[in-house]
Amino acid sequence: MLSEERRTEGTALTRPATGRLVDPDVRDEFGLETIDMNMGPQHPAMHGLLRLILELDGETVVRCDPVMGYLHRSKEKISENRMYPAVIPITDRIDYMNNIAMEYGYCLAVEKLLDVEIPPRADAIRALMNEFGRIMSHIPSIGFLMLELGAFTPILYAFRERERIQSLFEAVTGARMMFHYIRIGGVKADLPEGIPEKMWSYLEGLEQRFEPDFVDLIEGNEIFISRTRGVGKMTPEKAVEMGLTGVPLRCTGVEFDVRKHYPYGWYKNLDFDVITDEAGDVEASYRCRIGEVRQSIRMIKQILENLPEGEVLADLGRRLRPNEGDGIGRVESARGEYAVHVVSDGSDTPYRVHYRTPCTVNMQLLQEIVPGHYLPDIMPIMGLIDPVSGAWDK
Amino acid sequence: MQTALNVLEAEPVRLLISFGAILFLVLNLAGILTMAERKTAAYIQLRFGPNRVGPRGLLQPAADVVKLFTKENVSPGRSDLWVFLAAPIAMFIPAALVWLVIPFSPNAVVADLNVAILFFVGITSISALGVVMAGYGSRSTFSLLGALRGAAQMISYEVPLILSLLGVVMLTGSLSLVDVVRAQGGGFWHWYFLPQLPMFITFYIAGLAEVKRVPFDLPEGESEIVGGYMVEYSGMTWALIQASEFASMGLMSAINVTLFLGGWQPPFEFLDLGTFNWFWFGLKTALLMFTFQWIRWSLPRLRMDQLMDLGWKVLVPITLIWLFVTAGAMLIFQEVF
Amino acid sequence: MAVTLPEGNLETRLSRYLDGFNNRHGLEESSAEGNLVLIVVKPQDLPAVLATARETLGILHLSFITVVDRQGSFELTYELLDLRGAQVRVKTTLEGEEPVIDTVTGIYPTANWHEREAYDMFGVAFKGHPDLRRLYMWQDHFDHHPLLKSFEISTKRTFEGLR
Repeated sequence: MLSEERRTEGTALTRPATGRLVDPDVRDEFGLETIDMNMGPQHPAMHGLLRLILELDGETVVRCDPVMGYLHRSKEKISENRMYPAVIPITDRIDYMNNIAMEYGYCLAVEKLLDVEIPPRADAIRALMNEFGRIMSHIPSIGFLMLELGAFTPILYAFRERERIQSLFEAVTGARMMFHYIRIGGVKADLPEGIPEKMWSYLEGLEQRFEPDFVDLIEGNEIFISRTRGVGKMTPEKAVEMGLTGVPLRCTGVEFDVRKHYPYGWYKNLDFDVITDEAGDVEASYRCRIGEVRQSIRMIKQILENLPEGEVLADLGRRLRPNEGDGIGRVESARGEYAVHVVSDGSDTPYRVHYRTPCTVNMQLLQEIVPGHYLPDIMPIMGLIDPVSGAWDK
Repeated sequence: MQTALNVLEAEPVRLLISFGAILFLVLNLAGILTMAERKTAAYIQLRFGPNRVGPRGLLQPAADVVKLFTKENVSPGRSDLWVFLAAPIAMFIPAALVWLVIPFSPNAVVADLNVAILFFVGITSISALGVVMAGYGSRSTFSLLGALRGAAQMISYEVPLILSLLGVVMLTGSLSLVDVVRAQGGGFWHWYFLPQLPMFITFYIAGLAEVKRVPFDLPEGESEIVGGYMVEYSGMTWALIQASEFASMGLMSAINVTLFLGGWQPPFEFLDLGTFNWFWFGLKTALLMFTFQWIRWSLPRLRMDQLMDLGWKVLVPITLIWLFVTAGAMLIFQEVF
Repeated sequence: MAVTLPEGNLETRLSRYLDGFNNRHGLEESSAEGNLVLIVVKPQDLPAVLATARETLGILHLSFITVVDRQGSFELTYELLDLRGAQVRVKTTLEGEEPVIDTVTGIYPTANWHEREAYDMFGVAFKGHPDLRRLYMWQDHFDHHPLLKSFEISTKRTFEGLR
């Protein structure tokens, strides 16, 4: 608890910056006032439990203050009280749209602490599942964007694809959502018999369906363009300044992908492009997601073509007791740079685990770029950031 | 026997029976359209839709009604209760009332007013009042925003809606809907949607906006203001709002059919069914209502400023230009008209 | 593209970063290993070091801020990325039970919510922060900082502040 004097010293209790469009004097002259509106936490378009305190001038937002914590489940505190392998199911529940990347980041961090070699087949399977996870997260993101623009249908097409990938995941990991598949030192089990062929045939089907269902129906739509072009526009400087990663950064034209620039695991051996777009608005983020799904398909095909043989789980002994020190695992999740910082004190539980979830950082964008937009534009901007409640709240 | 039937045709009795029939039609239309909407949505979205109650789910509307009747009618604590409760009625009555002047077939029109088009225009503008009452009475920010959007939208789109009717009025020289339909006899090439194509399209779009359907469903704004003016309603009051929306959607299609698609007139003369020509009216109306639903499940929603742009900068100029074109054509080819 | 990202060989960049920090600031410790430059600084030097990193060396991205409660002192890790393969990890240690450190929001605006989170979870006060409110926990009537080691997990304890 802060003492009173430190509280005043450390905190300048001002309101966050407002993007007030209407000059206060003009407003007084006409006797107009702004409306305070409380959007959420129970709101269908808030990607879970987010509360936005909005100040509206007619339909224009002049202040947007995100309030988080409605889904805070103390992931970091729980992780401190569990043994190293037992933290993996906790990480699963951080970003529940893209769980496999969450496991991957944590396992990378602990492996860095332990300094172990991962069997190449395990590495390849991890990358394979991670890319499937990305497809499984990006396609519903496109659907959610359309849902928030008022078109209900694409989300069901998107979830059809997600369900099919979930069936593949079920065959491999035994679970449809909370996989607990990537383990420290490898993966839980090898791919079952016949699954690589099923994955291949699924991908070919997806390639056929992808163009008509998610590109042709959406991209040229006049209303879609008018709702998204120029909405949530940001410059690359602003995006870098705000610490954005993932699609929100790449759609402004800054080429940064953890898979490319901080390669980990099997990604060193893969050939893929980092998709960027110049516009930096919601439409650009949609195009980036479309492009990334295509790249993911390409990567999975490469992995399936040369899947190395061998073990899938390194033998690390029964109790993991890493040496004292820091381990940082950094992966590109579907939403951006996801980093896990594990601090070990030599015991069999982590001393401190810090999850750097991309959603938390990207969501700062809301209070920066929403003021000045119309109220209905908040929804496409949420679609641009595409946060997940579990991930921003941890 | 003959005299007994004559009693039914005598004025007050006939009117009462007709009122009953119209109310029956409108309320059932709401139920059937709900079902149709859900089934259309389901087939567009690769699913089955309601298929548990009755054969192929056909009794689902009845189950919905039972559920809505047994549901508690909640009102917000600080709401203006009378306004709150009167709003659904203020929305429903105009939608049901205009059905009285719709000619279903040559002999089936409840009130053959000689100012039926004016009646339609006048009564439909009242339904904006219901929206404002609902939003104001609920005393919630979301409702208020929805109501303001609704009022702005409905009043703005009234202008292109009325202007697009005028072409037909000029061609017919009458404000009676029966006369309008009679003037379109003899094959589909005599229907007014061909000479008045821009007006037909404008009327269709303005009609979509007037009944608050996607892509103009901003007053409801599912994703940002979560239902807008009807966010606080539940149970039967909500059902009444829904019924009025579906009734006005049917109404807009019916008026559209009457004015531009030849009402009860068959597409070819040899298909004339005589008294049963209401079949053609019903078929055309149903097709138009299907297009409303098709659009609803295919398109995203516009934004308020874009909606206003479309109304004032595109639709109103189109109708005005075409009014001049129609007037000029009538002046030049006087012997044809 | 208006953003200039660092170019060139990773090793030369790493040594440039290391030299850049060493020449301008009195570091307690500095090393380069793999793609990582690790420097340990005194808390009062931290804003200046980060300003050097961003303005002079062009390291544009602050990845995260981790606070570790060492029971008696707080260890802060600022992880910086140059977005092209190099990591710079700046560590500092705050002594005492009531830590105060200067904010870096002026240098890296993204630090805003990272610092709010650190304040929320550990009670580390960031001097000069524009908007230091709690990020996750209740804004009012909750006077705990849950990630401190002294905060034991207990439902009763967690809610007593609220009643």
